[in-house]
Amino acid sequence: MLDALMIGFAGLGILILLIVIRMPIAYAMILVGGIGVAILSGPAILFSQLKTLAYSQFSNYSLSVVPMFILMGNIATQTGLSRDLFRAANAWIGWLRGGTAMAAIAACAGFGAVCGSSLATASTMGQVALPELRRYRYSGALATGTLAAGGVLGILIPPSVVLVVYAVIVEANIVSMFAAALFPGIIAVIFFILTIGVYVMVRPEAGPKGGASTRGEFLAATLGVLPVLVIFGLVIGGIYGGFFNPTPAGAIGVFLVWLYGIFRRSVSMRSLGEALLATARTTGMIYLIVLGAELLKIFMSRGGVPQAIADWMANSGLAPMTVLVILLIALIFLGCLMDSLSMILLAIPFFWPVLVEINGGDYVPAEMAGFGMSSEDLKIWFGILSLIVVELGLITPPVGMNVFVISAMARDTPMRETFIGVMPFFAAEIVRVAILLAFPAITLWLPHYLSG
Amino acid sequence: AQEFVFKLHHLLGANSPAQKNMLEPWAKQVEENSGGRVKIEIYPAMSLGGRPPELIQQVRDGVVDLVWTVNGYTPGLFPRTEVFELPSVFRNDIKATNLAMYDLFESDLKQEYKGLEVMWLHVHAGQAIMTVDKEVHSPADMAGMKIRIPTRTGAWVIEALGAAPVAMPVPAVPQALSKKVVDATLLPWEIIPPLKLQNQIKYFIEGHNQTRIGTTTFQVSMNKARWDSLPDDIKKAFRDASGRDWWGKVGDIWRAGDDFGISVAEKAGRKHIVLSEAETEAFMEAVQPVVQRWIEEVSAKGIDGAALVEKARAAIAANTAAN
Amino acid sequence: MTDSPAGSRTAERHRAFRRFVTIWALLGGALLCAVVLVNTGSIIGAALFTANETGWLGGALPHWMASPILGDFELTEMGVCIAVFSFLPYCQLTRSNVTADIFTAHASPQWVARFSLLASLVALAFMAILAWRMYFGMLDQREYGYTTAILLLKHWYAYLPILASLALTVLAALVTLAEDAERA
Ligand code: NA
Ligand code: NA
Repeated sequence: MLDALMIGFAGLGILILLIVIRMPIAYAMILVGGIGVAILSGPAILFSQLKTLAYSQFSNYSLSVVPMFILMGNIATQTGLSRDLFRAANAWIGWLRGGTAMAAIAACAGFGAVCGSSLATASTMGQVALPELRRYRYSGALATGTLAAGGVLGILIPPSVVLVVYAVIVEANIVSMFAAALFPGIIAVIFFILTIGVYVMVRPEAGPKGGASTRGEFLAATLGVLPVLVIFGLVIGGIYGGFFNPTPAGAIGVFLVWLYGIFRRSVSMRSLGEALLATARTTGMIYLIVLGAELLKIFMSRGGVPQAIADWMANSGLAPMTVLVILLIALIFLGCLMDSLSMILLAIPFFWPVLVEINGGDYVPAEMAGFGMSSEDLKIWFGILSLIVVELGLITPPVGMNVFVISAMARDTPMRETFIGVMPFFAAEIVRVAILLAFPAITLWLPHYLSG
Repeated sequence: AQEFVFKLHHLLGANSPAQKNMLEPWAKQVEENSGGRVKIEIYPAMSLGGRPPELIQQVRDGVVDLVWTVNGYTPGLFPRTEVFELPSVFRNDIKATNLAMYDLFESDLKQEYKGLEVMWLHVHAGQAIMTVDKEVHSPADMAGMKIRIPTRTGAWVIEALGAAPVAMPVPAVPQALSKKVVDATLLPWEIIPPLKLQNQIKYFIEGHNQTRIGTTTFQVSMNKARWDSLPDDIKKAFRDASGRDWWGKVGDIWRAGDDFGISVAEKAGRKHIVLSEAETEAFMEAVQPVVQRWIEEVSAKGIDGAALVEKARAAIAANTAAN
Repeated sequence: MTDSPAGSRTAERHRAFRRFVTIWALLGGALLCAVVLVNTGSIIGAALFTANETGWLGGALPHWMASPILGDFELTEMGVCIAVFSFLPYCQLTRSNVTADIFTAHASPQWVARFSLLASLVALAFMAILAWRMYFGMLDQREYGYTTAILLLKHWYAYLPILASLALTVLAALVTLAEDAERA
């Protein structure tokens, strides 16, 4: 067991070193995993496995929903749907103190409902809302902080690429995961809006009131959100209602957003091409990380690492909740280094067996389980908790992808100020995690209700 | 000392009945037979990488030493063994079918296991009909239903019954049933507890005397080169643990798992329907085209399908009578 | 240096290659769109099937029209797989694979280029190995006759465009390697 733990730590150490010297995370995983397998079991095994491994990983049906949601988000970006969402939200709450920032959060949530990725949400809504926020003389910190944090909603509100990948790793039902994410996602929106409210109470000059809109503007803007409601209703409603599986649902989403774009004359062949190329970049990157993570998993399995870690943690005598909190904090720290998807792929294969072991196995009845819930429920609950903490990595220094994206747009605001601007949102997220930890029912109610 | 270490790779979880009740006892027996010189490490849940259809290639390439896998994951690779999956060839007797495969193995099946040393073959209890909310007593009752495809030939069964075959992975089945994306599924009872199908299914239907509509074949195989490299006494340790008795015993293990499955559904207050003899024969009649279609298809590959069907039926009958 | 005729010829070749890789990725994107249509069609077909067999359509439609697309599942798996491989050269050429830049933010451009060169080398080596191994993977698939479960599509056909994608990725890694070497 000691050998196995040594192998695990050595592998992790080299992986981090490679990441620090700017090796793309996918290739860092491929290098460590591949060389690790070759050392443990001989290069012949590695070479044989590479004959089919990439083909089978890339043709995994459960993952096929990922390019669907990414394409849907990228076409949505081209349609001008983000502008409609923001205009409506601004007509509703823009007249409040800090209202335009609140509207940006609401619009991010709306866009998140048709987009599976955080970065796409941050950049799309940034393009729309940042000029408006600056026009109303919002402080640089609040304006950029709001948008960087708001981008996170792209993945906290289903559909969500990270949740799909989590479900694939732990073999959870994707539908249950999406259902579980809904109420925590709505809580996030409310908390972010409250955060802005408190922020502008403390610092009124940071978020002035916007202008009130006329009745006609209000009505027109509100009608503008209808397409989003319809698409979200059909896609996510269809998934929740069980009318279709996630991949066909994603396909229908792509189809509808595309139709909407053609109808609005905002999606030409050219912009469709741009959406496809953006999808190519993101999808290629994600699948390469999936392949790297698979190689890393094989290396660790051959070294006996996951079992050793699970045994070690289970025999540590720590209370189940303590272990859970330790794992979540570890994810927050990893989030300083890596993007959310790599983190899920790297950490969950090790963390999940630990939790199952502590809980008492796959089939333990709830009354005898370490966490007081079945392992199926634990899978869902832990998935949502880890989703939130890995997404925090997007707004924490030093590597905070959302902050980078927004900074690149807001040249006049130093990045340091953006990091300061997201701090209150970070605090709100920690409060949210604590609440979800204390009350698992918030997460578990909807999936239970839907599965009868 | 453990001189010979084998990695056994499979797709189900570490606590699955297949690992607990079949793979682990067998591995222990081999280890005992060898006087502790053999060690079989079981890697569940595809933990050595890849996805289930790759298991066969992995063991052929020596990426792992042993696999337990479903033959149907690689359609077309084991056409002769597939005869035992056909409805009306396999009727109800797991043990007799396993023993029939044992008896015909050298003469009729072995040739298609290229690069593999088969430890044993087996079937599960066979496809029963599980419907969300419709009581079924005749093939006509199933026309117009959307039914999940269990195997390649299972898709033909569904078509023969006038229903629409829908493909989806096993984990998606409960949700699809609960919202009637499919109206029914063809699966053995043993799958009820892990998928909690008693929550979605009202009617659990099987034929007279546990008759089912076809089944699925499985294999446990070793890499051929690895096998050939083993000294005779180690080979004997494996052979002794996987003899004719064991093939039969595996039948008992799967029968017990199947009985447990239906008891879970019954306890949940679901209706377990056993068709009358006449009703059962009506189903067997309706699926005859499937057997015909299979014979035609394998004949194109140069296999005498009709003769194989007869041989398989005779071997199963002989073993059923002997039990 | 791009003023020299040799340099401008190289630059032109790079531009042409870049255009080709972009078109290749777009072809993969078109395949992805086809997968979208198959899935959409299958959903509509399944709804029509129910309506036709049991509901208000009452058998008005021919069977081939009102039925879920058989094997949509397999077409999705294979289509997405081929599409994703076709994205890899474009990802390499546009350097889309995520890195953590923060630790090297204050390093000299020369050092950054050296690290980048190392990454390009790893990409080059891995993609070359993968292409080599998957070529043998294709031969296995053909020899043993692996097919999909329902439509019996031969897997080795899918390996052909995939191997082309891998070859392009190797070339793309050579291009990024050359760019890095110039700056290092
Ligand atoms: Na989303
Ligand atoms: Na971070």
